Amino acid sequence: MLRISASTVRDRWPLFAGALLTVTLGVALVQSSVLVLVSTGEPTIPPGASGRVAEQIREGYVGAATLLGMATPLAMFLAVFIVGSTFAFSVEQRREELALLRMLGGSRPQLIRLLLGEAFLLGLAGSALGILLGMPATWIQARLLIGIGLLPGDFSARWSNGMLLLSPAVGIGVAVLGVLSASYRAARVRPLDALRSAPRATRVMTLGRWLWGVSSLVLTVMLVVAGHGADLLGALLVAMAIPVFGSIALSALSPLAVPLVGRLLGTVLRTSALGELAQANLRDAVRRSASTAAPVIVLVGLLVGLTGALNSLARAASADLERSTAADLVVTSTGAAAARIPQIPGVALASPQSQVEMSVTAQHRVDHRSYRQTHHWGITAVDAAAYRRTHRLTLRSGSLDALHGRTVAIGPRLAAEGVRDGTVTARIGPHKLKLRIVARLPEVLENGSDNFLVPRDLMPTAMLADAPTETLVQLTPGTSPQAVADRIRAAGIGEVRTLGQWADARVETQQRGTMGIMAVLMGMSGLYAAIAVINAVVIAAAERRTEFAVARATGLSRSQVVRMAVVESAAVTLIGLLLGTLVAAAALASFYPGPGGVHVLSVPWTLLGLLIMASLAVTAVASALTALTATRPSPTALVAARE
Amino acid sequence: MRAPATAGPHAGVPVAPVQLSQVSRRYGAGETQVQALAEVSVTFPAGSWTAVMGPSGSGKSTLLHCAAGLDRVSAGRVLLAGQDITHATDAELTRLRRRTVGFVFQNFNLIGSLSAEQNVALPLRLAGARPSRRDVQTALADVGLADRGRHRPRELSGGQQQRVAIARAMVTRPSVLFADEPTGALDTGSARTVLRLLRRMVDAAGQTVVMVTHDPVAAASADAVVFLSDGRIADHLLRPSAAQVAERLTRLEG
Repeated sequence: MLRISASTVRDRWPLFAGALLTVTLGVALVQSSVLVLVSTGEPTIPPGASGRVAEQIREGYVGAATLLGMATPLAMFLAVFIVGSTFAFSVEQRREELALLRMLGGSRPQLIRLLLGEAFLLGLAGSALGILLGMPATWIQARLLIGIGLLPGDFSARWSNGMLLLSPAVGIGVAVLGVLSASYRAARVRPLDALRSAPRATRVMTLGRWLWGVSSLVLTVMLVVAGHGADLLGALLVAMAIPVFGSIALSALSPLAVPLVGRLLGTVLRTSALGELAQANLRDAVRRSASTAAPVIVLVGLLVGLTGALNSLARAASADLERSTAADLVVTSTGAAAARIPQIPGVALASPQSQVEMSVTAQHRVDHRSYRQTHHWGITAVDAAAYRRTHRLTLRSGSLDALHGRTVAIGPRLAAEGVRDGTVTARIGPHKLKLRIVARLPEVLENGSDNFLVPRDLMPTAMLADAPTETLVQLTPGTSPQAVADRIRAAGIGEVRTLGQWADARVETQQRGTMGIMAVLMGMSGLYAAIAVINAVVIAAAERRTEFAVARATGLSRSQVVRMAVVESAAVTLIGLLLGTLVAAAALASFYPGPGGVHVLSVPWTLLGLLIMASLAVTAVASALTALTATRPSPTALVAARE
Repeated sequence: MRAPATAGPHAGVPVAPVQLSQVSRRYGAGETQVQALAEVSVTFPAGSWTAVMGPSGSGKSTLLHCAAGLDRVSAGRVLLAGQDITHATDAELTRLRRRTVGFVFQNFNLIGSLSAEQNVALPLRLAGARPSRRDVQTALADVGLADRGRHRPRELSGGQQQRVAIARAMVTRPSVLFADEPTGALDTGSARTVLRLLRRMVDAAGQTVVMVTHDPVAAASADAVVFLSDGRIADHLLRPSAAQVAERLTRLEG
C-alpha cells in the first residue's frame, strides 16, 4: 500500500502541497518553541548579578515558558485541523480513484492504510523540511521574546539532538491525526462510485459529520453556560476552549448553513444573471463551499475569540486597578523629586510608593508543604496613612496603621502564597533585620502588584531618594487636574498621568508579552488559513474546468465566468466569516457585562475588520486566478472531452 | 419472466457463474421512486459471452451492477459463482472482487500514476499476493502489449489503455468478466481489436463474459444478446448479426 501511497503523492502533489506546507510550519513552530522552552528551563544567570536581577531573569523565563506553553498547543490544533480539512477535501476529489481500488479488490482496511500511508509520507517530508525551517524559526522566536522584554538580550536557544526524534514525531502525528477521519470517509467510498454513470451519493451531511458536529456543538453550549457564572479566570479558560470546539462544530455543520445563507445572499445576488448562477453553484457544491469556509471559521473564531478574551481580561484588570485606587493624578519620578509634590498648590494628598532594592525572605506554607523563599522584586516603601487613603482595599487581616518601624505588610501578589504569620527576614544593603507582619492585603486582578509593603521610615534616606517612585495624588476639591499636572511638570518633578491613563499603561505593559505571542499565533493561523483556503480553491478549480467550459459554451464570456467564480467564493467566505464571528461571540459571551463583578467586554473590532478584508481579498484573488487558468483552453475542447 | 437459458459453446458446465432470480432494484422513495429493474431472472452460463442491450434508462447498467455485487438488490436473489451474494457483507464482496470477478469499463479507469505493469499487478497486490513479473508480463503479452509495460496510461492510446484494463481484469483469472461499454470510448479499429480479444478469451479459455453495450456491432460479437426495456427482459437473440441486433433495438426504442 505504501508504494501506491508514494506514487499517489508523487503524481498528485498539488493535492498535498497545502497539507505539506502546514505540517512543515507546524513542525518548525513546535521545534522552535520546544528549543526555546528547554533553554528557558535552566535560566543562565550572569555571574555577579544581584539577587534582584536574577529574580527578574527567572520571572521572565517563567513568563516566556507560560506563553509558549499556551501558544504551542493552539498552533498544533490549527495544524491538525487544517491538515484534516485538506485531506477530507482531497478524499472527495479522489473518490473515483479510491472507488476503483475498491472495485479491483481493495478492502476497507486497505484504503485506510493507503491514506494513513500517504499521511505518514507527508508527515515525514514535512518533518524534514520543518526541522530545517525550525532553525531560523528558533532564532526569530528568541529575538521576539527578547524584544518584548521577557528574555535577556544575550539569550540563545541551544540545539538539542532530541529534536531529531521529537520533530518527526510531531510531524507524523499531526499528519496522521489530521487524516484519520478522512481515511474512514475514504473507506466508505463504494466501488460503484468508480463508474461515472453510477448514481452519486451526494449526501454531504453524513452520520459521522452529524455526530461530530452536534457533539461539539453541545460541548460548546455547555462551555458557554459554564462560562456565564464563572469568575474572570474561568471565563478566560472557557474563552480558550470555545474557539476550538465551536470551530469544529460549525465547520462540521457548515453544509447546513451554506444553503441557508445562500438564500439570504440570494436576494442581493439574484439581481443579476451572474449572481443567480453563483448562488445556484453555491447551493449545489455544498461540500466545496464547506471546505473553503472551514479555515475561515477557525481563523476568525480563534483569533477574535482569544484576542477579545485577553483584551477583556486586560480591561477588567485596568478597571479593577482604577476602581481600587483613589487618586486624580499619578506622578512617576525619583523618590527625591516625589518629596516635593506635597508643596505643589492644589495637592491635597500625595502617597509616594517607591520600588526599593532590598530582599525579603519569608516562610511559606502551601498544602502542608513548607518552604523558604527570598523575594527581591515588588517590594514597595509606602507611607501607611497616605497609602490607606489612596487605596480602597479591604484588608484580609491586620491593619496598615501599625505599618511603622520594623514591620511589613504582605502584598496582593503573595496573598494566596501562604506566607506564614510571624516575622520575615529582610536584607537592606549590608543590614539583616527581622520584620513583623502586621497586615495582609487582598488579591487584585493585575499581574504586576506588590509582593511586600514596607514603611518608608524603615529605609535609609539615600536609598529612598534614588528609588523609582509612583506618587498617587489627590487634589483639593475644586482644583483643575490639568492645572496641577502642569505645575508638577513645570517644577520638573516627573511624568504626570491621569489615573485612567496610568492604569491602562500599567496593565498594557504587563500584557505586552501575551500580546506578542498572540501576534505570532495570529500570523501563524492567518498563514495556515490562507494556505487552506487557497488549497481548497485551487483543488476545486481543476474539477470545475468542464463546468466553466459549459458555462462559456452557454454564452458567458471568460470574464463573466471569472466574475461568477469570484462572487461565489466571496459568498462562501462571508459564510465562513459569519460562522467564525458566531464562534468568537460564544467565546466572549462570559465577558459580557453581567450583574456582578467587573467583567468588561472588549471586542477587537479592528482585528475583525482586518480579518474580514484579508479573507475576502485572499479568496477573491485565489478564485480569480484559478478561474482564469481554468478557462484558458478553448471551451469546446473541454466540453467535448470525456476525461 | 425467465429468459431461456442462453446456450453457449460450453453449455455442459454445471454451475452458471451468474444467476439472477426475481431481482428488483428501486431507487429513491415516494413520488420520485424509480424502478430500475423489475423482477428480472436471467442466467449467464459458463464459458459464454452475453451482451446486455437496451435503450437508455432500460436498466442494463443496474443489471450489471447488481449481478457483480456492486449494487444491492431491493428484492430477489443473486448468485455469483454459486455463492448467494444478496446479503453478503462488504468483506465477502471484497473477497469476490479479488478472486471471482473482473471489471472493464468504458473509460478504462487505469490509475494514472502507475505504469501499465503496476496497473496489471495491482489486483494481485491488493489481494495480498506477490505477483511475479512473468505473470504480469504474460497477462500484458496476452493483450498484445508486451512491450508497453513501463508506459504510463497517458502515454498509451485509448485502445491500448483498454487492453491494459483487460489484462488487469484477467490477471486474477476471474470466473466472470463484467464489461461496461468496453468499446464505447474507442475508434472502430481499436474497438475491433478489443472485441477480438474478448472472443479469443471466451473460445480459447472458456471465459464467461457479461457485457453491457449500445453498439450492435459489439453485441454481434457475443454468443447471445439479452434486451432490456423499462427494467424488464424484453427479448433475446442467439448468435445474432449486427443488423438483427440493430433491428430489435429500433423496435424496442420505437
